[in-house]
Amino acid sequence: MTDKPIQGEKRVFMTGNETLAWAAVAAGADIMYGYPITPQNEVMHYWTRMAPKFGRKFLQTEDELSAGFTTIGGIMAGSRAFSATAGPGTTLFQEPISMAEMMRIPLVMAILQRGGPSTATVIYSQQEVNMMTFGGNGEGWRVVYSTATHQELYDYMIKSFNTAWKYRFPTFVLADGYQAKMREPLTMYNPEDRGIEMVETERFVGLPGVPGTDRPPAHHRNTFSVEEELYEATMPIQKEYEEMSEHVVEWEEEDVDDADIIILSHGVVSRAAKAAKNRLRAKGYKVGYFRPITLRPFPEKALQKVAGKCNNFLLAESALGQFARPVKEALFNVPVNSFETIYKPGVGFTAEELVEKIESAR
Amino acid sequence: MRIVEAYIGEYASGKSENAINRALDLVQGEEPVTLVDLDLVEPCYTLRPLKRQLEARGLQVIAWETKDTVGLGEAGAILKPEMRWALQRAGHVILDVGYGASGSQIFNLLEGFTQSSAQVLAVINVARPMTATVADIIEYLQEFVQLDGLINNSHLGDETNMAIIKEGVDIVSEVSRKMQIPFVATAADERFRSQLGKQDHQGHTVRYLRRFMTEAFW
Amino acid sequence: MTDHLAMPKSWHVETKPHKFCPGCGHGIALKILGEVIDELNIQDRLVFGVDIGCSLLAWDFFDVDTVQTHHGRTNPVMVGMKRANPDLLCIAYMGDGGGYAIGSQHLVNSAFRNERILAIVINNCNYGMTGGQMAPTTLPGQKTETSPYGRDAETTGSPTLGPEMVAAIASPGAYVARGSIANIKQLKRFMKKAVENQIAGNGFSFLEVLSSCPTNWRTNAKQTWAFVEDEMSKYFKTGELRTPDEKKEA
Repeated sequence: MTDKPIQGEKRVFMTGNETLAWAAVAAGADIMYGYPITPQNEVMHYWTRMAPKFGRKFLQTEDELSAGFTTIGGIMAGSRAFSATAGPGTTLFQEPISMAEMMRIPLVMAILQRGGPSTATVIYSQQEVNMMTFGGNGEGWRVVYSTATHQELYDYMIKSFNTAWKYRFPTFVLADGYQAKMREPLTMYNPEDRGIEMVETERFVGLPGVPGTDRPPAHHRNTFSVEEELYEATMPIQKEYEEMSEHVVEWEEEDVDDADIIILSHGVVSRAAKAAKNRLRAKGYKVGYFRPITLRPFPEKALQKVAGKCNNFLLAESALGQFARPVKEALFNVPVNSFETIYKPGVGFTAEELVEKIESAR
Repeated sequence: MRIVEAYIGEYASGKSENAINRALDLVQGEEPVTLVDLDLVEPCYTLRPLKRQLEARGLQVIAWETKDTVGLGEAGAILKPEMRWALQRAGHVILDVGYGASGSQIFNLLEGFTQSSAQVLAVINVARPMTATVADIIEYLQEFVQLDGLINNSHLGDETNMAIIKEGVDIVSEVSRKMQIPFVATAADERFRSQLGKQDHQGHTVRYLRRFMTEAFW
Repeated sequence: MTDHLAMPKSWHVETKPHKFCPGCGHGIALKILGEVIDELNIQDRLVFGVDIGCSLLAWDFFDVDTVQTHHGRTNPVMVGMKRANPDLLCIAYMGDGGGYAIGSQHLVNSAFRNERILAIVINNCNYGMTGGQMAPTTLPGQKTETSPYGRDAETTGSPTLGPEMVAAIASPGAYVARGSIANIKQLKRFMKKAVENQIAGNGFSFLEVLSSCPTNWRTNAKQTWAFVEDEMSKYFKTGELRTPDEKKEA
């Protein structure tokens, strides 16, 4: 091991959880705070193996509430800090996330979705979409990247730190148990070597000088006295969120221009969707593919534009409509001819079943 | 002669593929062969889903079945009682070992395990960043009290090419020389048979692998 | 000598007079803390974390960098900060609900891990800001809005003995004490030693302050004082429970 965690570009073979840990190392994360929960444990396993080699820190907390609030403390002290969790842990994390939203704290996390509700399975699901986009008592002031490949886990984990610190909204990599545990090749790199400049962190407290003498004290709060005061405080945040949205919104689309039907999906399901689209195209079916990468903010305009070209949709998700909800909202007032859904809460998709579904209807 | 071999390695090193293929090789002989799934770290990627398929091929498989494991993962690090007594069985025993930070301490869980009775073989994939260089591999292997051989299983999944296999041979050879631990074999996917032949470019035996673990997800 | 009539230098003048009720013990505790900050000259490296409940009213109390957090979550915010930057001095300031009920797991585990922060719990035997409900520290028989017939230990348990609990689990190097606004000289000695313990990096520091809540107790000045001095001190004994050298002031 050397000072520079990654020497040049390197093709490697890893699990998703390891990929996230390496990405955090490459991004210059200073400290991780975490609590064990399957399927995210190996993020901590690998981080704790690497941390001493690269001068990074780790704290295992007593629960996810503490993991969230200690991460916030670390960030306010000026550290590039992060955490990772899943399922019931994500539920507990909504509290610190809401504080980060209100106080514009650049909280970064990886979420490895598992089945729900409750303890359910430790394996796989897409049932934390509602919670990660609009959880907590607030307005969903977060950025949520839904990844599909290990390369994306790596790329978007690095990007999350920059999105969070640039715009000061909590930012998440929303993956799942399959991505956590599956293994595939990816290219690791130092962000700087690709011209990705890591956004500098800043302290919220412990600033130079004596407060009250050399500078005003930094007083941070999330409590307000009256409705009007809260309104005055929150509306500028909403405005900044909206202004940020057009810069951070991302999606992927293929073969939509001449499509008769478009498969809508996100995250790991989009691997099956893309493969199905390619197989159907090879058979002569005019099938398109649209996949939001940011679930929050949602690529509404992009989807509306696609709907202008083709308004037959097949939506597939491993949940009971959590992804369909923002899709339908985006398509409100847009003429839609057909909108079919396959909901499989906590169960994965294969390309074959999507191929069969579309073929059988043609 | 009775063979007891433990295949150890990092996540995605290929230890399970090597263990399965070794066990299936041995089952061609007369002795019974027992394959033990001793993965206490990452129970999602175990032999569990393959149990019946492997039994149909003549192996005795000691592994949990998914239906028996409520809270799999949460409680995945549960030792099946038969595992503790696996070495008491007649015939050959192949252990697929996920060991965690405690390294070869895991062998304390096996009744009758002695250093002289078993071969501990480390499966190494140089495409894994924690075991990418000679120095890293040596640092990693030093955790093990017992280590009898090295298997170069360098690969990039479906993207595997001759270059990565060759790089693995060179790096693992260097580790073998420095640590004075035998280089037992290079392992590679069946599809490289025509290119690689019986020996790698440094003259080590090549073990060809049929891949099973792609079906073993959860 | 500190001039007790003067405002501590570390107080934020613009927000005085403060917003606590007349007769509230927070003002006394924060005055003592202000004097300690001044005497130890730590204004530039201190971060003050305040909880939800009446403690949040101190969010702009000092000329000190301050973070108002969530109910019960001040300990972990300060722990995370201290872990990330050990040069900072971090004080988590909360009420008995935040310390012993909703945030009790954080207090217990901060103590177990010997986190190098100072946690101060203001014990006033009830939830003040929410309107006088029963707290973990409500005395047996004490009437509150959620124990209108008096606290029944059979059904609601006995008052939490915070410092005793922390002292029982704390590691060597910890400082644990209970003071009272009824004995400000002693309270100041404890407060200063607690802060100094963090400066020295010895271990977890914990201070409970017996305080008053005349608004919710519905007591006049004499009754308030009598409750703190007679009723509370019977159940909650003041003194040092853990010190780094294990020499303790009773």
